[in-house]
Amino acid sequence: MGIETQLIGDNVLVTNLNKLVNWGRSNSVWPCTFGLACCALEMIASTLANFDISRFGSEVFRPSPRQSDLLIVAGTVTKKMSVMVKRVYDQMADPKWVIAMGSCSSCGGIFQSYAVVQGVDQIIPVDVYIPGCPPRPEAVLAGLMKIQEKIRTEKLNQRPDFKTGLF
Amino acid sequence: MAVKTVIDAIGKIHPDSIIKQCETQGICEITLAADAFFEVMTLLHEHKPFPFDMLTDILGIDRMPRTPRFDLVYLLLSTKNFTRLIVRMEIDEGQDVPSVSSIWHSADWAEREVFDLMGIPFSNHPNLQRILMWENFEGHPLRKDFPLEGKDFDKPFDPTTIQDYC
Amino acid sequence: MTESKTITLNMGPHHPATHGVLRLIVELDGETIVKATPYIGYLHRGIEKIAESKLFQQVIPLTDRLDYAAASANNIGYCLAAEKLMGLEVPKRAQYLRVIMAEFARIMGHHLWLGTHALDIGAMTVIFYTFRDREMIMDINEEIAGYRLTPTFFRIGGVAQDTTPDFIKKVRDFVKWFPKALEGYHTLLTENKIWTTRTMNIGKISAEEAVNYGLTGPSLRGSGVAYDIRKAFPYSSYDDFDFQIPVGENGDVYDRYLVRMEEFKQSINIISQAIENLPEGPVHADSPWITNPATTDAQNDISALIRRFMMHTKGPTAPKGEVYAAVEGAKGELGFYLVGDGTEHPYRLKIRSSCFYLASALPRLLVGHMVADAIAIIGSLDVVLGEIDR
Repeated sequence: MGIETQLIGDNVLVTNLNKLVNWGRSNSVWPCTFGLACCALEMIASTLANFDISRFGSEVFRPSPRQSDLLIVAGTVTKKMSVMVKRVYDQMADPKWVIAMGSCSSCGGIFQSYAVVQGVDQIIPVDVYIPGCPPRPEAVLAGLMKIQEKIRTEKLNQRPDFKTGLF
Repeated sequence: MAVKTVIDAIGKIHPDSIIKQCETQGICEITLAADAFFEVMTLLHEHKPFPFDMLTDILGIDRMPRTPRFDLVYLLLSTKNFTRLIVRMEIDEGQDVPSVSSIWHSADWAEREVFDLMGIPFSNHPNLQRILMWENFEGHPLRKDFPLEGKDFDKPFDPTTIQDYC
Repeated sequence: MTESKTITLNMGPHHPATHGVLRLIVELDGETIVKATPYIGYLHRGIEKIAESKLFQQVIPLTDRLDYAAASANNIGYCLAAEKLMGLEVPKRAQYLRVIMAEFARIMGHHLWLGTHALDIGAMTVIFYTFRDREMIMDINEEIAGYRLTPTFFRIGGVAQDTTPDFIKKVRDFVKWFPKALEGYHTLLTENKIWTTRTMNIGKISAEEAVNYGLTGPSLRGSGVAYDIRKAFPYSSYDDFDFQIPVGENGDVYDRYLVRMEEFKQSINIISQAIENLPEGPVHADSPWITNPATTDAQNDISALIRRFMMHTKGPTAPKGEVYAAVEGAKGELGFYLVGDGTEHPYRLKIRSSCFYLASALPRLLVGHMVADAIAIIGSLDVVLGEIDR
């Protein structure tokens, strides 16, 4: 998956390289536009002038999953849509992270019915959950900051390899 | 009242079709028998001077355990003088209903939704497929004997079981 | 011999310009669309079935999430249907407050429409300005109801609570500020040559066809039919206010744009009339089985305590009957057909959604246009998938 996962040892070269790579990755997380329902409106509001997500590095929301690092699942994931969610997630290139924004994608929300997946973590692995219905744009920014913290503490040779079937 | 003239006109041409007539909350309502249904709807669409030119909605109500099981309700509107009319039909499980999509285009998707969620089949419909659920979904969700959380609620969900039209 | 076939293009549910999870499969002959089929259901959450197992007041947050761009306008329809079924009379002050919140919701929905429609066509500046104004309205929502996007401010029989002095001040400030902002939107788009070339004579539909397809709201009024439920079947004191219904002529994208821009003006007019003439009085109907007793009453009087307990656990009971109540939502006629059976749960709730019929007219509207025009047409119809799929 990349030569950086084969590095051995904890010497000063590897840790500094680790810090550099993590600094680069955490300060330029590019999300993929995946607004499904009402949470999408608060996600859009967090990108615009009042709340401004671009000061955190997420300047551009890429429509194509191939060009993005972060999948913000904003809205209810229905069973019919779950096929597409999995497909878009599989198309994203490593390294990738997932935020489940809102109650519907965290746990099914107020819709406990025959057509709704009770939480997107039944289909794809989730890194950060943001509760709320919908969460305020400040909460979205706080979730993004948590992802940045998570990325900064990652070790290059310990990223889960998605091909081995861990998820 | 204006709607009464329409109902009287129908009563003259198809005498046995109107079973019941009442008024709910200011809207006139008629219950039709199943045999002259399509002709009466055509009459309502072409009646002069104010035709009922918009079909606002079609809905099904499951009255289990009564027989006939379903109530099929059509909401009509005349945009010339802003009057509404409710047309109701009581149908049984599996009984075929003629589609009115050749009279009003808005019936196309509305009948597909009633078929999908209630299981009432419509004949002469251009494309009677499921519209809100996926292709290999089993059952009709809005029926009273379908559980709210669906079948297999306690098992983890597997997206590969979903097979859709395209 | 050469043989020409059509290309099938999938504008999938994950798409930046389809305003949600709408899926379109179009068949193209070169760049022109010859057949278009919309597929919906990717946001079907089963709201109607969930409503059958909830109490009457517990359904109100579910209706908020239908047309989530203009949330308060959905609540008013359901509350009207429930009140008609139970035979309740809403006090005047509550009716005026409902009108104010519903018209703010309409303005919010139109702001979202303007920003995203212009963004899809290529005019990226507009969305920044419209969302600046949307934030001001969300501040007002938060002031009175506690939440920005989905306020759930209405209750069966009235509204949740009375106004705060800050609310009236904020509404008055917004009413003073908004005409300047509206003028700004007009200077950006209305006489812009690129805008008019992209939107004139695109997606034309005549009045008879529009009525036959079940279109309502600004999309119908753009074709020349003056059908607005606020004037045709007035509800919630709308006949106390003086406003007009803008109607277009050609039924193309540009006319629908002009109709909605004029609706901005009429809505702010209604809000300024309502806030200046706000009558005094209670904000909730005073019926023993509907009104929630105040906390001080419940602490001092045993019957009030019992009633408060019953209200929270059981809620109001509806008599046997059926009722249809329709309101003018931001997109068109939003109707609620409510069937009561004598218990505290609705027996059947059917939501007549305006966007469902707008999306069903897409196969007729898209044929003969190019792919880029398809984006303009979808934007001009202003579909919100939460309402289509429920």
